[in-house]
Amino acid sequence: MSAQKRTSSTLELKGVSRHFGSVKALDGLDLTLVPGEMVALLGPSGCGKTTALRIVAGLETATYGDLFINGVRYNDTPVNERDMGMVFQSYSLFPNMTVAENIDYGLRVRKIDKNKRMKRINQMLDLVDLGPKSTSYPHQLSGGQQQRVALARALAIEPNVLLLDEPLSALDAQVRVQIREEIRRIQLDLGITTLFVTHDQEEAMAISDRVGVMRSGKLEQIDTPIDIYNNPATPFVASFVGMANRLPAEISGAGNVKVLEQKIPLSPLSGNLEKTKSAIALVRPEAIALTDEQDPLATRAIVAVKSFQGPITKLGVVIEGYPLIHIDLSSKEARKLDVGQKIAFKITADELMVENV
Amino acid sequence: MNKKLSKISLFILVGVLLLAIFILPLLAATIFSFKGMGGKGYSFINYQWLIEQDGFWPAISTTLRLAILAAILNLSLMVPTMVFLHLKGQKWKPLVDAICILPLIIPVVSLAIGAQVAMPGILQNTEYELVFFYVVIGLPFTYRALDTSLSSVPLKTLVEASRSLGSNWLNTIIRVITPSIRSGITAALFLSFALSLGEYTITSLLHWETFPTWTVVAAQQNILGAIAISVFTFAAAIILMTLIGLSTHKGSGREIVEEEHNYGMAE
Ligand SMILES: Nc1ncnc2c1ncn2[C@@H]1O[C@H](COP(=O)(O)OP(=O)(O)OP(=O)(O)O)[C@@H](O)[C@H]1O
Ligand SMILES: [Mg+2]
Repeated sequence: MSAQKRTSSTLELKGVSRHFGSVKALDGLDLTLVPGEMVALLGPSGCGKTTALRIVAGLETATYGDLFINGVRYNDTPVNERDMGMVFQSYSLFPNMTVAENIDYGLRVRKIDKNKRMKRINQMLDLVDLGPKSTSYPHQLSGGQQQRVALARALAIEPNVLLLDEPLSALDAQVRVQIREEIRRIQLDLGITTLFVTHDQEEAMAISDRVGVMRSGKLEQIDTPIDIYNNPATPFVASFVGMANRLPAEISGAGNVKVLEQKIPLSPLSGNLEKTKSAIALVRPEAIALTDEQDPLATRAIVAVKSFQGPITKLGVVIEGYPLIHIDLSSKEARKLDVGQKIAFKITADELMVENV
Repeated sequence: MNKKLSKISLFILVGVLLLAIFILPLLAATIFSFKGMGGKGYSFINYQWLIEQDGFWPAISTTLRLAILAAILNLSLMVPTMVFLHLKGQKWKPLVDAICILPLIIPVVSLAIGAQVAMPGILQNTEYELVFFYVVIGLPFTYRALDTSLSSVPLKTLVEASRSLGSNWLNTIIRVITPSIRSGITAALFLSFALSLGEYTITSLLHWETFPTWTVVAAQQNILGAIAISVFTFAAAIILMTLIGLSTHKGSGREIVEEEHNYGMAE
């Protein structure tokens, strides 16, 4: 299925800022997407993800900075001349039009002849697997089906870039997983450059080529999902992406950090730390392992929670004076453990990211 | 207390009241209006009298003409204003809200006398000055009707979707905005038209003859004729409103019968 004739586009944002009064929704955002790439923008609520997307779509204007598509400056191009395929967070199908008419909307505006339009509509319906629903009205569709039609409608116009603003957030967890995989399949199929906004990190990791983590209107780090997870560039990224135990830490000289009586090298990415302030070390649940009682590094704790999740089992263990500590074990290893049982563990990370609090 | 019993007794109470204060008088009036000469037998004689009265047809045509103009003017003023308020001018909404409620608060008399003086000269001496007043008294109602309908659709998102699909403003207004608030436009049209049809106070104060003011004069001459006028007006109003209702409802995409429920389909 190759519905996309056009070669994919490059998308570039250079130093883009957007101020709303005194609020800096975007503060010098730099971002480049190579042709055919899918990038997820991830970040806490209010960090400027939607604003960034809307500036690309032309629904919002940048206070400073430039937007380029295939090297052409697009700042002053009106929304309706940008050829952007946008899928919105809330349902946005035209209520008075059928599924087919919704998909047709952008094609009719372009005055494409009727036969070509019909062909295109059918192609799009096949793509999102909604052929039998072509004459249904939006209110007759489930949430997932509506968002698939919205996707088909956005793709029908062969857009330069596909823009997705949390298109799955109104859907049930199960449907969400299925549709995000469908989006990825279609995106790869068409080779369309895609910018995808979400605040669900699992979603971002699962379907994008690169993940950009945003914080207060800036891009904190952009990398492949694996690198974002394994080599976070800042403590913010480390704590935002994936699960991390936040354990009280002491910075000792010689670039070491002392956590739970264990001395571990301090990650150079931690940034400038003030020794006088209290510090927190970020320890991933999988960077903790069970050990022998006799191990000099062992910390003793009691199992409080045990949750089986297929191949791995998540433990929550308690130590006096600490928050609940999460440990991921292989289910095989965890089988012999029960709630209430005493265990010994140690941190196996090569180095730890630390931040002041 | 027995819930079912209380429901039935409520039903009966409403039925009896409806019968006593609405259906019976109307029925009696209708029968009465067909009484023949001198109260004997039945005939159309009272209706014939009505139609033959001087000024009957001119009054009807004036009323219809003014009501149609008022409804059109009201909507062409309010639809763009309300759409703008909902899309871009949220902060102006309380102000417009307040302005539109004013006609309900200001006494009609002061409105009529005060505003007439301020009216441009060309309008002042024609019956078309009434259109202006009809529009003003209709504002509170068209405002509510349009506001409710606009609040029930995600208008901003629909417009943004339309624009990003390549549509210009005109096409967006015609193909997206208008159809999505069709029910509100119908209701507003309906209210504005009906209010103008029945307006009496201002028309009378400014000494114009429309159907309502004409009937008051005509009714004083003939008791049975007066009853015929009431029945005629009532029937005409019902027929007119039904016609408007039917004509604006046709072809609206929302009317699709939901014969197929695809919710909860395994995905
Ligand atoms: N039209 C506006 N007027 C004023 N402030 C705005 C406007 N739009 C956004 N903001 C502000 O800009 C900041 C960024 O908003 P944005 O919608 O881009 O966040 P987001 O990352 O998409 O958040 P979320 O995950 O909650 O959707 C927020 O502080 C928000 O309050
Ligand atoms: Mg957002």
